[in-house]
Amino acid sequence: MIPTGEATVGPFFPPRYVDAGANDLTRFEGHAAQGEAIEISGSVRQEDGAALENLVVEIWQADAKGVYRHPADPRHREADANFLGWGRAATDKEGGYRFRTVLPGAPAGRARHVNFMLMFSGLMRILKTTMFFEGGKANDADPVLAAVPAARRKLLVARQEAPGKYRFELKLRGEHETPFFDD
Amino acid sequence: MHYVIPPRDERTQPARIVPGYPQTPWRNPREPLIRRAPTLSELTGPLEVAQRVKLLGGDIAGRGDQQAIGQLIHLKLRVTDEDGAPVGGAVVEVWQANGAGRYIHPNDDDHAPVDKHFYGAARVLTDESGSFELRTVKPGAYPVPTKDGWWRPPHVHFSLFGKVWLQRLVTQMYFPGEPLNAQDRILNAVPDAQARERLIARLRPPAGDPYDALVFEHDIVLRGRRATPAQP
Repeated sequence: MIPTGEATVGPFFPPRYVDAGANDLTRFEGHAAQGEAIEISGSVRQEDGAALENLVVEIWQADAKGVYRHPADPRHREADANFLGWGRAATDKEGGYRFRTVLPGAPAGRARHVNFMLMFSGLMRILKTTMFFEGGKANDADPVLAAVPAARRKLLVARQEAPGKYRFELKLRGEHETPFFDD
Repeated sequence: MHYVIPPRDERTQPARIVPGYPQTPWRNPREPLIRRAPTLSELTGPLEVAQRVKLLGGDIAGRGDQQAIGQLIHLKLRVTDEDGAPVGGAVVEVWQANGAGRYIHPNDDDHAPVDKHFYGAARVLTDESGSFELRTVKPGAYPVPTKDGWWRPPHVHFSLFGKVWLQRLVTQMYFPGEPLNAQDRILNAVPDAQARERLIARLRPPAGDPYDALVFEHDIVLRGRRATPAQP
């Protein structure tokens, strides 16, 4: 069977679908996740630099030990019971988004990273990218980062602003355009 | 269950930059998208989203004196993967305009009337057969503020969580026989005619049950095939 055609979320994605607390991955069902709590924030802009409001950002990541809460991960029985690994945020008037999460561990064969997905009016398809961490030990050996032309790799590495605070800017088109993946 | 995600057939997916859709040239990447071999990170995904977000139920037309105005419809949807296997337990988010073509959203300042009995959002789980049902009213058409006569045909929005990250899908469903379908810039951004046809629901011949609603059926196919174990 052939996958259904994608379409834009349009301008009217219900605000109630960005549930209160959906951008806080450090707690699940009332219990605290293991690991170092961190904040990831940034802004989303289009080609002319205009900030994009009401854009939906979703993330998916491994837990503090680098384990995915999913049966395809051979280590999934070790997954942190208090960490879902998924979150959603919507951008504000300044195009800003913010997640509270835990620093992911490095999964087998990968550097520590967070998967991002962007949905918005005028995006006919979901845009997918991956964020890496400044100073991440295995960044140079990561196969996904290696697939990106060398000159653009730094655009996927979040800057550490302060201990536990990372900044990841997203530019949909134009100068400093974020690398997106054709998956 | 392990999934493999084959490359897309581009003709079955929409163009990213759409003539006459003025936001698209500003927001879609100029650089070519980058191919990558999926790793565990992309071939896993959240399976318990329903424990993080609030489900809203699938009956959004209201009842009695709280009933929304419009043509009462019953949507029967089925979600499968590329192998035709049902995708059960998937969170599906649904949103649509009211019968007059108006969304309940701060961005919608259209002239069309608000229906105080219709918010237009449902969030449900698919059952083991990948199915879910929705009792709603048929959405109205509405003009897009482009000043050159683009009206969206009646349509319903869906956002679906599959079993893995790369199965995530946002799509729109259309209604059969609508004259605006042939001109819609979003529907017609999909090059392949059969792929467009698959975005249009099928009217089931009225058979008296439910007696008060027209029944439409629609299939949604998520990406991904179940991986077969490697043969020795």
